[in-house]
Amino acid sequence: MRDRFTSSQWAGLTLIGGLIIFPFVVSLFTGQPVESGVPKFWQGMLIQVFILAVFAMSYDILMGYTGILSFGHALFFGTGAYTIGILLKHAGWDLGSALLAVIVIAIIQSLIVGLLSLRVSGVYFAMVTLAFAQMFFLLAEATDFRQWTGAEDGLQSIPVPAWISPTTERLRFYYVTLAFAIIMYLLARQVVNSPTGRVMMAIRDNETRAKVLGYHTLTFKLIAITVSGVMAALAGAFNALWNLNANPAVLGVGTTINALLMTIIGGVGSLIGPMLGAGVIQLLGYWLNVFFGPSWPLLFGIVYILIVLFLPYGIVGTWRLRSAGWLAMWRERSRSLIRFFNHP
Amino acid sequence: MSDVLLEVDTIHTFIGQFHILEGVSLKVRTGSITALLGRNGAGKTTTLRSIMGLNPPRSGSIRLAGEPINGRPAYEIAQLGVGYVPEHRAIFRDLTVEENLRLAERKRGDLAKRSDFIMSLFPDLKRFYRHPGGKLSGGQQQMLAIARALVADNRLLLIDEPSEGLAPIIVEQIVAALRQMAAETTILLVEQNFAMAAQLADEYYILDDGRSVQHGRMADLVHDHATIDKYLGAG
Amino acid sequence: MIEWIQRRRGLIAGIIAAILFAMWASSQYEPRVLASILLSGLTLGALYFLVTSGLSLIFGLMDVLNFAHGTLFMIGAYIGFTLYANPRLLLNTLPFVLAFVAGWLLARWLPFSSLPAGHRRPLWVVAVLVGVFAVWGFELAPLATTALSSGGRVPTEQAQAPVGLFIARTLGLAIAGLIAGAAFIIGSEHARRPANRDLAWPIGLLALALIIAPLRLSAEGWILALDSNTRFLLALVAGAGGGAALGGLMEWSLIRPLYSRPIYQVLVTLGLVFVGTELVKGIWGPGGYFMELPAWFSRRGPSCPSPNLIAWLQDNCASIDVLGRPFPSYRIFIIALGIAMFIGIAVLLRYTRLGMIIRAGVQDGEMVQALGINVRRVFTLVFALGAGLAALGGVAAAPFLGISPGLGQEFQLQAFIAVVIGGMGSFTGAAIGALLVGLARAFGDQIVLTGIQLPWMSEAMTFSPSIARASTVLIMALVLLLRPAGLFGKKE
Repeated sequence: MRDRFTSSQWAGLTLIGGLIIFPFVVSLFTGQPVESGVPKFWQGMLIQVFILAVFAMSYDILMGYTGILSFGHALFFGTGAYTIGILLKHAGWDLGSALLAVIVIAIIQSLIVGLLSLRVSGVYFAMVTLAFAQMFFLLAEATDFRQWTGAEDGLQSIPVPAWISPTTERLRFYYVTLAFAIIMYLLARQVVNSPTGRVMMAIRDNETRAKVLGYHTLTFKLIAITVSGVMAALAGAFNALWNLNANPAVLGVGTTINALLMTIIGGVGSLIGPMLGAGVIQLLGYWLNVFFGPSWPLLFGIVYILIVLFLPYGIVGTWRLRSAGWLAMWRERSRSLIRFFNHP
Repeated sequence: MSDVLLEVDTIHTFIGQFHILEGVSLKVRTGSITALLGRNGAGKTTTLRSIMGLNPPRSGSIRLAGEPINGRPAYEIAQLGVGYVPEHRAIFRDLTVEENLRLAERKRGDLAKRSDFIMSLFPDLKRFYRHPGGKLSGGQQQMLAIARALVADNRLLLIDEPSEGLAPIIVEQIVAALRQMAAETTILLVEQNFAMAAQLADEYYILDDGRSVQHGRMADLVHDHATIDKYLGAG
Repeated sequence: MIEWIQRRRGLIAGIIAAILFAMWASSQYEPRVLASILLSGLTLGALYFLVTSGLSLIFGLMDVLNFAHGTLFMIGAYIGFTLYANPRLLLNTLPFVLAFVAGWLLARWLPFSSLPAGHRRPLWVVAVLVGVFAVWGFELAPLATTALSSGGRVPTEQAQAPVGLFIARTLGLAIAGLIAGAAFIIGSEHARRPANRDLAWPIGLLALALIIAPLRLSAEGWILALDSNTRFLLALVAGAGGGAALGGLMEWSLIRPLYSRPIYQVLVTLGLVFVGTELVKGIWGPGGYFMELPAWFSRRGPSCPSPNLIAWLQDNCASIDVLGRPFPSYRIFIIALGIAMFIGIAVLLRYTRLGMIIRAGVQDGEMVQALGINVRRVFTLVFALGAGLAALGGVAAAPFLGISPGLGQEFQLQAFIAVVIGGMGSFTGAAIGALLVGLARAFGDQIVLTGIQLPWMSEAMTFSPSIARASTVLIMALVLLLRPAGLFGKKE
């Protein structure tokens, strides 16, 4: 094995480098200081992209790598957001322990939901997970827990430690979320490239065969749900830190659709695809909002349906197919060229 | 009576990414019984499904009485007068015998017109007329499946393994019924039970690995032990 | 005997649980309270049934889990309500729809099929452009909301476009439909088959559109002048019909191309939840409406509440006496509607050829097709039927629960739970599941009202309605643990 970076690794490093210097580049071009104005605004945009990218990636571990269609992914995202919000605001925990608690709760939650929902498969699973997510949505709205959750108003003004406050320390928050996204990506890559990941993909391709080969598929599906759930919960926690609040909508169907949308637009079954999808969705949403005002969610939904109908492999998948096609075409051309010169 | 009713010309059929039929050709003469022979997995069932339009071939052509039918949906092919008796019978278990037959009507009164003939072939069906199909024995289910293909006015019957898993005495009944049916219609028969196929068929085609490798008159094949050993195993 | 018990242990456990629950309930509540809880449960159960029956039929026959079924329920409610209270919106849009369909049908009649297939894409683009041009500047929201705003009705003339312009728009949409229809048939299977050359449909539809166009102003008055009962019946018909049309269109345009990619079918229906909700918000606004009860169910007076059902037929009181407690008569109507639909579907499934095809198709769609039956057409029909049932439920629910864009998701959730409990693809299961969830909700609502005091509690515990709604998910979890296939579902 040659110990050299492949071209895709170089591309990744370049991208990360670009994102690290991005705030300063914007500042340079606009002539505004890095801590305010346009640079600050675009840091905010990218922070949301990073958070959503992790969320979308966590979704793809389930859907793209294990072949499990969940319609309740908002459950993990929203619970993460509420957990960190409640612990910071009402329990007065410090950020580190709160994040640890988010992970622990996400593990417990994904195991329970997974054990119950995995008793059924296919679209049934989608339906059951949706029901669980809706249950938590209703609980978040319930007036009984107003003193903790803020009921339908949501959890307002979460006290985020001053050193990474998204309002005053935007640049630092930017680098923290960037690091978060990179770490999550590396972890996810470790998981999908590990033997466990290969079993997950075997389950996706043919569960019966994986079973016949002697794998206890339920265990591996539970692992997939737990990994995915923890990542989604952390993304939700960061989302709460960024917004300084958590409202019932983070547990709603819209949040799940968002994850689906990013995954499908980016391309199912790759880690980079959904992250790219998150960027597209965030920017598309922003521009649609600028141009079409309040009717943009409608356009968004229509774009989603058109993509499902006409671009089922997403950006990365379609690009891979195309580039494979182009490669084959050029290979064929070069071969015929060689043939031509060899046998004039 | 020797004109060709069904002509299949080098069809290639894929199931998913698997290339199942790699060029099957055959001709079925009007009024004959043609047997499709070959080992398990040779592509016999897929050939019938391709003709029926359930696994449409990706290339090649299928003509019924000269008219191309490949690429048309299964229900249109059926309406052109093709009856299908699938592998494992596929009767509707929750429907009664009567409903199973009624479902096969293509126009009102089909069943009334053919009922006597069907009941004379399979008297058992009359006894269980209002019982759910799932309650019938295997042999009765097979009879129902064949009867279902007789309700409408079909020019061609595609029958897949009618003797599978049945007791010899029932197989004899079915052989007798098929022989009576052959007087009125044309049959393309897939059969593992070589003795049964040899009793019934006028002509044969042998499939091997998705290709049609040999065909001829059944009467000749019966004595050709080399071929039987080569393609049909210890038949 | 022991084996029998082991085989039926789920059933036995269920019966024991039901008896224990009945004992608890009868000790907790007086009979008259219990009666009205049960009736409320039946009411909700009837509404859930209208959603679950379609959901289950569609899933059983074509393996499509329609996540947008609740959305169809909600849209049905909006369509029915609009006809009932504000026909202006429907009268001002119906001609457009009719004209477009007329144009589309006309395309089959004209010799477009001989055009080369390369014209297909440009024709689609032209059709969209013509369509957009025809309705440019036409706003739905004022038509939908002006007449309903609390400040009283905006005079009809102000809210409507001039007749000439309106007719021009109608004709424009007919042309758009014609071009779209042409684009559709080029190179498709229709091209090589003899076209359906019956001119009566397109011309009739176009004529109807052009007749309605100038009469919109007066027609609104006529409809509103009808008595509320007639309008209510019209609303039920219009809601169910509109829902069925939308359902059929949905299957034909979005579900059918994706039968080879089942996951994507589900993804599309989930997207439709989003689009449908946003569309309704865009047209009718994000707020809710309340639909008035028709006269049959709203009279109040000295003789009310009606002592029994027979007396109600004469005095039309808003409530009926049940064991000395008034119970809204409209809810009795919903129960009756649910039972009528249950019997209707059961008869359809049992005794008609369509029902026979559906029952056979649930088991083996391929074989049905091999018998010469066009299963795809049956799919569209059943999808439309299921959507129509849900939409009918929406209209029926409107005077009872009010109308809001969130109505669909709420019903979707409870319907899913009911279907998981009952077992997917089983008609009986859909009915029983709906009934159980309805009863659970009714008891939940009662507990919300009075609190619950279990033996070991010193004082009653109280809940909010959200908790009562969320708690049905726990029943689902329980059923999943005991019988993953549901009560009436077949083992996978």
